[in-house]
Amino acid sequence: MREVVVKVEDLKFRYREGKKRALDGVSFEVFKGEFFCIIGANGSGKSTLCNALVGLVPYYFTGNKKGSVVIDGVDTDNSSIAELSQKIGLVFQNPFNQLSYTASNVAEELAYGLGNHGVPRDEMIKRVEYVAKLMRIDHILHKNPLELSGGQVQRVAFGSTFILEPNILVLDECTTQLDPLGSEEIFDIVKELNKTGITVIMVDHDMERVARCADRIMVLDKGKTVCIDTPDAIFSNPDIVNYNIEAPDYVSICKALKERGYYSGDYKITEEPTVEVVKEALVK
Amino acid sequence: MAKAYNSYVKRDTFKENISPNVKIWPIFSYGLSAIIFPNIYLGLGLIVFLFILAFFSKLFKGFTKIMLGFGIPITLMLIFIHGFYGSKNETILYDFGPVQLGLEGVLHALKIVSSLLVFLGTFYIMNHTTYTGKLVASLTASGVNPKVGYLVLASLNVVPQMQRKLSVIQEAQTARGVETKGSLWHRFKVFVPLLGPVVLSSLTDAQERGMTLETRGFGIKNVKQTHYVEVFYTKTDKIIKYMLIGFFIVTLIITILMRLSVI
Ligand SMILES: Nc1ncnc2c1ncn2[C@@H]1O[C@H](COP(=O)(O)OP(=O)(O)OP(=O)(O)O)[C@@H](O)[C@H]1O
Ligand SMILES: [Mg+2]
Repeated sequence: MREVVVKVEDLKFRYREGKKRALDGVSFEVFKGEFFCIIGANGSGKSTLCNALVGLVPYYFTGNKKGSVVIDGVDTDNSSIAELSQKIGLVFQNPFNQLSYTASNVAEELAYGLGNHGVPRDEMIKRVEYVAKLMRIDHILHKNPLELSGGQVQRVAFGSTFILEPNILVLDECTTQLDPLGSEEIFDIVKELNKTGITVIMVDHDMERVARCADRIMVLDKGKTVCIDTPDAIFSNPDIVNYNIEAPDYVSICKALKERGYYSGDYKITEEPTVEVVKEALVK
Repeated sequence: MAKAYNSYVKRDTFKENISPNVKIWPIFSYGLSAIIFPNIYLGLGLIVFLFILAFFSKLFKGFTKIMLGFGIPITLMLIFIHGFYGSKNETILYDFGPVQLGLEGVLHALKIVSSLLVFLGTFYIMNHTTYTGKLVASLTASGVNPKVGYLVLASLNVVPQMQRKLSVIQEAQTARGVETKGSLWHRFKVFVPLLGPVVLSSLTDAQERGMTLETRGFGIKNVKQTHYVEVFYTKTDKIIKYMLIGFFIVTLIITILMRLSVI
């Protein structure tokens, strides 16, 4: 049996100002070391769910919460946000929300969480240096966080969460401000982190990337869990268009070939297998 | 554009090498001493001393500017109020006809001004030789509640943040063809409608900020905060601190003796 590190059961949440529930029956489990992706249309409740995982819902965003969220054996109802931060880290959708606004330069910004966790100064300096190199922000360490470009802030935001070395990393569309190359860079880092055993829960709109990275995917629609399955199963299911999700183009290529009788296997969701399928079809 | 949030510029003077924790002591030690002392001479002496200190901290120009800029108008104003209308006026310095300038009032006014200037001057020197991040770090390290420290830092950061927002909006406006340059009056007209939203959104930002802080461990129980900026407290710092406290106590004793007419 694999160890369950996140367990969400029938979670429902309505923001105090909201008329409808932002989450309306979400249940899932995430295993230790898993790469778990959450997809869904705008407003389907992805960010709300991320906030619930780190305790911001219901402590920060107040409202009507039902059901339970258990992180590494601890119910978020019985823990403070600060305590949860030792187990689970969130990179916000809006990177400017990630800043502490108390640091006068990037180095201090990165170190901010470490200070709260009481990490000794020498260790702090080492970790800041390491993360800055990894995130390629070592040349802006002395800059004021408020004077950075959107992409730079996003790197700082990611680094400031990752530097705390949480066992579970929640990423809410954390590369929206980065150029394609930059966001690939970040994803490579995320994949590396995942290989070292860190559990990753990621919200992303880029289906090709999701197909490539995810062990399992959860589809969210109007605050409800629609299905949880492997990328292959999810994207080859023709019903997903009903939830405003567009499978990677590779699926439609396979589909087109199948309809014309050039191919008979499963739909492929990533680049390389699709290339193989196309080659095969060309031979026919 | 957004500026660093305090007026600290590294100047490599001895003042910078004193622990920030100690540097807030003069504000109270000198300031309170100037207030309690029965006459104005201590206050004046301290002001002269501060000018010397400012000179050695390479702050003389700015210091003089602020002291005169603040000191002259406030002195005139207070002399006007107390000199002409002070209730304790007995000795007439000069008779203007309808009003008389009284010695007691003038002295009272100078007393207030000198105390204010001592506070202002020590604060100015402290602020310009201390990096706020360091000050807060050193305060929390010596037992001040981190929440208080946060409040200090965050409020210092509100201004650069608003500046940033304004410049973003102005860029957006320029992109949409609104002319943001031009005559002063024109710029004023473009600028004013922006203020409301910018201030408001900075306030809601402050709310969102609280949430980030906690997800980064702020307010965690049973953990002593550490700091990236170096916090130090040397023997010299300790001596300076005791000297400052000593200064105040001596002033206090002399004041009491003078009031009791012993000396
Ligand atoms: N602070 C809030 N107060 C009230 N309602 C909110 C708040 N934040 C989100 N909502 C509502 O909750 C629902 C879910 O929003 P959420 O931000 O979780 O969606 P999302 O899936 O993250 O969307 P996106 O893809 O655009 O990021 C939406 O209907 C939204 O209007
Ligand atoms: Mg979202």
